[in-house]
Parts: sequence; structure tokens; C-alpha cells
Amino acid sequence: MAATNSIYGLFPGPDAADRGMRALRAAGVAQEKILVMSSEPYEEYSFTRADHKTLMPWLATCGGIVGGTCGYLLARYTQVAYAITVGNMPRVSQFPTAIVTYELTMFGAVLTTVIALLITARLARRRPAPYDPAISHGKILIGVVDPADSARPELERSLRQAGAEQVKTTSA
Amino acid sequence: MAHQWGMVIDLDRCTGCEACVVACHAENNISTVGEDQAARGRAKHWIRVERYFEGEFPDLKTKFMPVLCQQCDAAPCEPVCPTFASYHTIEGLNGQVYNRCIGTRYCANACPYNVRFFNWYNPEWEKPLNLQLNPDVSIREVGIMEKCTFCVQRIKAGEIQAAAEKRALKDGEVQPACVQSCPTKAMVFGDLSDPDSEVSRLARGNRGTKLLGELGTLPKVTYLQKDSWHGSENA
Amino acid sequence: MAAKTPDQMTDDLLRPLEGASGRYWTALAFFGGIVIAALCAFAWQVYGGIGVAGIRRPVFWGFYITNFVFWIGLSHAGTLISAILRLANATWRRPVTRCAEVITVFALSIGATFPVIHLGRPWLAFWLFPYPSERGIWPNIRSPLLWDFFAINTYLLGSVTFLLLPMIPDMALIRDRATGLRKKVYSVVSIGWRGTPKQWHRLESAMQIMAVAVIPVAVSVHSIVSWDFAMAPVPAWHSTIFAPYFVCGAIFSGIAALIIAMALLRKFLHLEEYLLRIHFENLGKLLLVMSLLWFYFVFAERLTIWYGNEPSEMTVFWVTQTGSFSPLFWLMVICNFVIPFPILAIKKLRTITGCVIASIGVVIGMWLERFLIIVPSLSHKYLPYSFGTYRPTWVEITITAGTFAAMALLYMLFSKTVPIISIWELKAAPQTQSGHAPALAPVGQEGAD
Repeated sequence: MAATNSIYGLFPGPDAADRGMRALRAAGVAQEKILVMSSEPYEEYSFTRADHKTLMPWLATCGGIVGGTCGYLLARYTQVAYAITVGNMPRVSQFPTAIVTYELTMFGAVLTTVIALLITARLARRRPAPYDPAISHGKILIGVVDPADSARPELERSLRQAGAEQVKTTSA
Repeated sequence: MAHQWGMVIDLDRCTGCEACVVACHAENNISTVGEDQAARGRAKHWIRVERYFEGEFPDLKTKFMPVLCQQCDAAPCEPVCPTFASYHTIEGLNGQVYNRCIGTRYCANACPYNVRFFNWYNPEWEKPLNLQLNPDVSIREVGIMEKCTFCVQRIKAGEIQAAAEKRALKDGEVQPACVQSCPTKAMVFGDLSDPDSEVSRLARGNRGTKLLGELGTLPKVTYLQKDSWHGSENA
Repeated sequence: MAAKTPDQMTDDLLRPLEGASGRYWTALAFFGGIVIAALCAFAWQVYGGIGVAGIRRPVFWGFYITNFVFWIGLSHAGTLISAILRLANATWRRPVTRCAEVITVFALSIGATFPVIHLGRPWLAFWLFPYPSERGIWPNIRSPLLWDFFAINTYLLGSVTFLLLPMIPDMALIRDRATGLRKKVYSVVSIGWRGTPKQWHRLESAMQIMAVAVIPVAVSVHSIVSWDFAMAPVPAWHSTIFAPYFVCGAIFSGIAALIIAMALLRKFLHLEEYLLRIHFENLGKLLLVMSLLWFYFVFAERLTIWYGNEPSEMTVFWVTQTGSFSPLFWLMVICNFVIPFPILAIKKLRTITGCVIASIGVVIGMWLERFLIIVPSLSHKYLPYSFGTYRPTWVEITITAGTFAAMALLYMLFSKTVPIISIWELKAAPQTQSGHAPALAPVGQEGAD
């Protein structure tokens, strides 16, 4: 399924995957070129450390603020645009304005989170990305994207020594 | 200064004849619903005469109280309508806009006086009764809430006539159907913002009370009675 | 009990998706039939006029609003379990989260149909939406029904997100094992999930945000639903206690529904090794707490009314305590408190069967509670001349039955297309010494029951 150049090993468990990762780093491969895929988050292990930082909470907060502003403006505008007396209440009533503002704040935060996830996790992309279905059977994929052809045998050896059950290569 | 329409009902004069109920039906195109539906609580009487018995035979007293929309200045039915079908006009009436009503029936639940009525089915008038319909009043279809409007069509007609004749409305010139048909003249209608109108004078009298006034609805109908009964509070 | 390897777990949890028994199809047809009957009843109501329902003056709201509040309340199951337990890092929640989140999404969808079903002119329901209309008018945001509109839509977005986001890795799992058309469908649904650390971190981050965001939304939704009643000057409605009272009742009914759903899944999908007695016990303890809290709110409300001795409120009080509604009232108390309390409080009785019996009682009791909040108060407002009784017709009863059938139907369809237990979350649970995930560790001699 991969449409890129890569070489990768399929490791039976997270400890072996850790060794594989260390072997690749020891072989001088840059972090951005290392490919990791797994069917579980494996948060306690070091091979999943990359790409940890995320702006999502800030984005969600911004989304909430935008939503809340829209809610407030909607409430104020509609109460002024069609100004009509009901129940001896003021033309612009504070409590209902607050409720609508609050609900749209939360709406904005949730919607922003979803969109941020889709974008930052690179989901729903048009071009296919490297993948191996063996991951679904619990194997962990550790590999290198775009290796130099000369480096391939060396990398394969490192991966097998670290404990990879299989080493596969793909070419674009 | 805009008119502020109000009403005074003298309970010491009311005989319970219900001529007001019949007149209201005729004037406002209120359909009858049939015996079966009436038994199921679907009858529509924009004005109804509540009848209470007091005491034991032979000292039995019957009390009659006509109850209609109180056109409250702080109406609980107004803020709860999601489509502004129930709103307050500048002349102090609680307006019901039939076209906007989607039939949530929240207003009817909120009304403490139970003066709102719903069209559970499309109304029908068997021929030739349809010829009796008042052309000044819309027909309400299924799913729409309706209630007493103080015969707003008569108010509007009176105001238009007075404006055309370049004069002010005279006190007592506009009368809703119920007021017009009352044989004992128990009901008086007029402009509460005019301190000299008959309705203002009577409302200021010491026999005046408001129905459920303690709820803070600021109703515009004042009931006159010599002795307080029915648990109603003074205004 | 042998430890399950991750692959065995995956196989067990994906097995329900492969084919269905004759019993399944029969049940599906049964529930589908009731749903179709309900749709026909609604069509009849739109055609013939809402008068075919039993509502009348002065009881302008009846079964439909009861169902509305009931189903929105039931939808609070997923929020509590998934969000609060996630934030509290409770591991035992893992097999249970998706069952709960599914209940939320479906119950909310069902409940959200009732604001349209109960309208006199439902074809104009879109007027609740704030759009610049050619009539130059906007909806009235002072109306609690508009607050309902915003709150329910926000909650629907939140709970659908809460359900769908953690489903993505499992959809990828099925995509990798499927062939043909199934593979294509699950490929689309898994939107290119590969399992890179970046994707996992983003998903975890999103779930943390959602967990924090969805709790206040859920609290606000049922508070706003309660304010549909509390904002009107109706005796026994106009009470400040309504918002927390309704939220408590919602969580109460939600947990009960979850216990019932879990018990049924455990039996029919053979998940005895995944949905353990400890899960039912823990939920049972939560149900006990909610039962006590519910009792506390009802007691506080009724004490205040009784002590205040206001005539119109006392009329409603006596009619529920000793009058025409008293059989339903006392049945509600028995179902919500008298039966669940001993079953859930005594450890010996707090078995899976015990929890299910208590939960069935709670679901019945909570439906009755919604009914008893609405109808006795509307039947007895301020003016005795206008008191009236309410009798539902076949239309309302059919539509009510249809909602329960729709819930069952949707749940059954879901459990055959998506693994009802979140596979990756279960496998990702911190392991115990023996290699079991704690969520699966056996407790004493459980297993049977």
C-alpha cells in the first residue's frame, strides 16, 4: 500500500520495538525519517515519544472563544433586529443571551477539536501513505522513510538484530 | 399616548346567562367541536362563565365569573413562545399571531388562567353555517393556538374609522362582542390610559380585585364584587 | 482462566460482527415492525391532526414530552461513564465506554425527535432555527425551547464526536482484516488511520479535551430541559430545584440503561470474559448513589411544598400522594428506591442479575417520574374550574413503544457493525502482573452469573 521508499521491520512487542528504535538512532537515522506504526498507543514506551507536542487544547480554546462570540452576537443581534416586547422583559435579556453564548462556546470548542484532529493527525488524506496490515495483528512497525540505497543492507541488519520478525522494503 | 385597553366585569351584576360566550363564538369564528371532543376537553370558549356553588341548601348561593384572556402586562405566555406568536402590542394587548404559531402549546401551559385554546383538528362548519362566518377574523387551521383578543378587529375598525374622520375615539365607541351582548351591562370596556373613561373609574373603585393578581401577571381585567370570594387578591 | 493474548481479544471482540443468528433476525424484524407501526401512527397524526393524541386542555403536554425528557435523560449514561471516569483514570471503564457512548447517541437522537413529533404544525419546525427569514423575524431566544435547540444540538455534536473518534482505530482494525466491499466501507470509515505516534497523541489529546468539554454540556442540557418546566408559573413546576433534580435523574436513568444494555450484550454476544461482575458491581454502586441522591431531591422538593402549604401546590401534592395519581407515584418510589436500594446496597445481592433487576425498576420508575412531573401539575393549575384528566390514545402509546423498539433496533444494528467493546482501549489498559489487563482480571469466583 505504500507509495514511498521505505524499509521497515515488524516487531513482536513494545520492548523489541524500543530496541529497534534505538538501533536505528544509533545507525544515525534522523528522527523525522523514522516510521513508527502500532495498533495501540504504547504510551509508556520511548519509541512513541515523537510528535508529542500538540496545540490542540489551545485550538479548542480558541474555537470556544470564537463560538462564544458568535453566540453572543447572534443573541444580541436577533433580539435587536426583531425588537418586540414579551412578558415585560427587556428587549435584550441577559440570562437567555448568556445561555446561548455558553452553548455556542462549547459547540465551537468541540467542532474545533474535531477539525484540528482531522488536520493535525493527517487523517482523510488523498494520497495513500505507508502502511502494513500486519499492525492489526499486534506487530509494531519501525522503519525508515527514503533510505539511501547503499544504507539498506545495514539498516536491515540492525533491524533484525534488534528483534524484527520480518523486514520489508517498499519502493515508490 | 397609545390606548391601553382594559375591561371591568361586575360580578354582582353577572347572571351567568352566557350571552357573552355565544356572541364571542359568533364574532370570532370559533368552531364547535362536537359532543365527543368536548367531553375530551377540546372545546374552545374564549370567554367562559365559571360557576361556583357556595353553602348548602336552602342557603345555596351561585356565583358566576366570566373568565377571558386577561391581556396581562407581564404575561407568562409571551416569553415562552419560540416563534413570537404570542407578544405584547403597544396598545397593551397580548397579541396572538396565528401564522407564526407552530403549536408547541407552551403558552397554554404557562397561562395560569387557562384561557388559551388549541385547534386539535381543522375546524369545520357544516353548510350553511359557513355563511355566518365573520370576514374580519381569520380562520385558524389545525395546530394553532387561539384566545380572546378583546375583539381586536373591532378595535382596529374603530380606530381606522376615527382616524378617517380625524377625531379621537369616544369612550364606549369600541365594544367587544361580549361587552356588547351582556344584558345586565356587567362588562365595561375602554381605555385605561384615559383617567376619565368609565373603565378607569370603575377599576379605581373599592370593589375592584384582580384574578390571580398575586402571581404578578398584571392582568388588565378588573373584577368588581361587594364581598371578596373565590380566593382572589386585591390589586 | 487463561490470559487472553491481544490477538485472542481482537478475535473475540470482532466475532459478533461476522454473521447473525436466526434469533437476531427475528428480534430485528420484531423491533423493526414496532418502529414502522410508530412511524405510521405519527403519519396518521400529521394527516388527521394532533387531536388524535390524548392531550387536551389543560394537559397540553403528555406522553410526548414525557418521552422527550426521558430519552434526553437516558442519554446521560455515556457522558458519566466515558468522560468522568476517563478524567478520573478509572481503568475499569474501558470495556464499558463504547456501550455507554452508543446509548447516548441513540437516546439523544430519539429524544430529539419529540420536539417535532409533539408540534401542532410539525412541518414548520424549522422556524426554531435562527436563519434570516423573509418574514424579517428571528426565533425568540427568551423561550426555553430555543435554549433546548442550542443545547441539544451541541450535546449531539459532542456525544457523536465522543463516540466516533475512539472508533477510528477499531475501524482500521476491521479494515485490515476485511475483504471486498466490507474492506472498502471500513476504509472510508477509518479515514486513513495508520497508528503513527502522531495520530495516537492527537487522538488522546482530542479525547481529553472532549472529556472535559462534554461534562458541562451534559449538565447544561438537562438543566435546560428542566427549565422548560421551571420557567412556567405552574404549581410544583416553578421550583429552583429542578435543574439539579433533573440532572441527577438523568444520570440515574442513564446508568440503569447502561447496566441493562451491558447485561444483554454479555449474554447475546458471549462477552462473559470481558464484561465482568466487577463492572456491574461498580456501576451498581454508582446506581445506588444516584438512587439515594434522587430520593434526597424528591424528599427535599416535597418537604418544601408540604411545609409551604401554598393551596395550588398542595392540590398537586395531595393528588400525587393520596389522590388519583398515587398508584403511579408509589410505584415510582418502589421502582426507583425501595427495590434498588437493598439490591444494590447488600453485596450478596449486588450480582449481575440483581443489578439488572434494579435497573429495570429504575428505567420504569424514571419514566413514571417524568410523567408525574408533567401531568398532575398541568391537570391541576390555579383555577379549579379548568382541572382536567389526561388519557393517552393508541397513537401516543404506539409512538412510545416505537421509541423503545427504535433504541433496541439501533443498538442491535450497531453491535453487528462496530465492535461494542473498544478493542484498542482494552488492549492499551495498564497490564497487571499476570499479564491480564486489570479490566479483565477475574474477581474471586466470578464468571458465572
